[in-house]
Amino acid sequence: MKKIYLFLISLTLISITFAEEVKKYGEEITLTEKTEISSIIADAENFVGKKVLVEGTVIGVCAKRGCWIELSGDKEFEKMRVKVNDGEIVFPMEAKGKKALVEGEVFSVVIEGEGCGGDCSEEEEKTEEHKCEHEKSPRKVYMIKGLGAVIK
Amino acid sequence: MPSTPDGIFFMGYPFMKIRKLIRILHRDIGYIAFGLTIIYSISGIAVNHVNDWNPNYIITKDTLSITSGIDSLMTSEDLTEKLTSLHEVKDSVKSYFRASPTSIDIFLENKTISANFKKNISILETVESRTFFRESNFLHLNNPKKLWTWIADIFAFSLIVLAATGLFMIKGKKGITGRGKWLTLVGILIPMIFLLLYF
Repeated sequence: MKKIYLFLISLTLISITFAEEVKKYGEEITLTEKTEISSIIADAENFVGKKVLVEGTVIGVCAKRGCWIELSGDKEFEKMRVKVNDGEIVFPMEAKGKKALVEGEVFSVVIEGEGCGGDCSEEEEKTEEHKCEHEKSPRKVYMIKGLGAVIK
Repeated sequence: MPSTPDGIFFMGYPFMKIRKLIRILHRDIGYIAFGLTIIYSISGIAVNHVNDWNPNYIITKDTLSITSGIDSLMTSEDLTEKLTSLHEVKDSVKSYFRASPTSIDIFLENKTISANFKKNISILETVESRTFFRESNFLHLNNPKKLWTWIADIFAFSLIVLAATGLFMIKGKKGITGRGKWLTLVGILIPMIFLLLYF
């Protein structure tokens, strides 16, 4: 009997050790067809209100509340933010760099411009007519309201 | 009906006996609730000040100047190799991302290297879990959901029982009929004043 117990405990430990760490957040994913982030960015207005399933690397996480993540797009230099209701889903910082599959609804929001988002050189920032100045005016951004996610 | 020193009856029972039951309930529920009360109160203070600090993680940043021999024209693979060695990081690389032709983010286990070639700086961000606080916040903010919701509800109800039984623990001048009623009133007035001020 002892041997059987030992075998079962060993089996459990081995399974835990070698199991791929997949974490689910929020609702179950129902969509099967993925939408490329580049397609959403290219025709964002048409996607507003539509439910999509996107995949990408987690490149940013809300550090204090875990209330959003940013996913890399399938094309170079593209990314998209996934916002979730505070407390409903809490993304951990450990998700950074991992692959995520997210289901959610595309929405738009008008935000105050952030200038260059810190991507300007010190010389550029000092100039009177800052070339990124126009980005400081309010602009419409598109995000995904995350309903469910799988991160691995 | 037997007489009691209190001479008070509640629903047909002498209040002396009820007070004994109240004390027993308060004592035993208090013991059980101790651990959760500590977790909830410490986490409560921690998340109350979320605008001033990060209650879940300790995030440190180490900024270095990008040395010659590393530039944005290099391939992402080469940049990954050069920048990890610049920061003397040995961890294996999970992935990387280029937000623009002049920047790269390299993701390692609990570390991120963010290089900006326009500013000529590379930042190594290290994320460490804030032990005890993170776990406490996880439970306090009901992140586990499922069965934990029930435990949290039972705990909340037990706090109501503790508060209510606490009022009738002792009798006399220091009880609810004496100074207790004034202190209880203060406790009720505090939230009411703030509601009048801010709500």
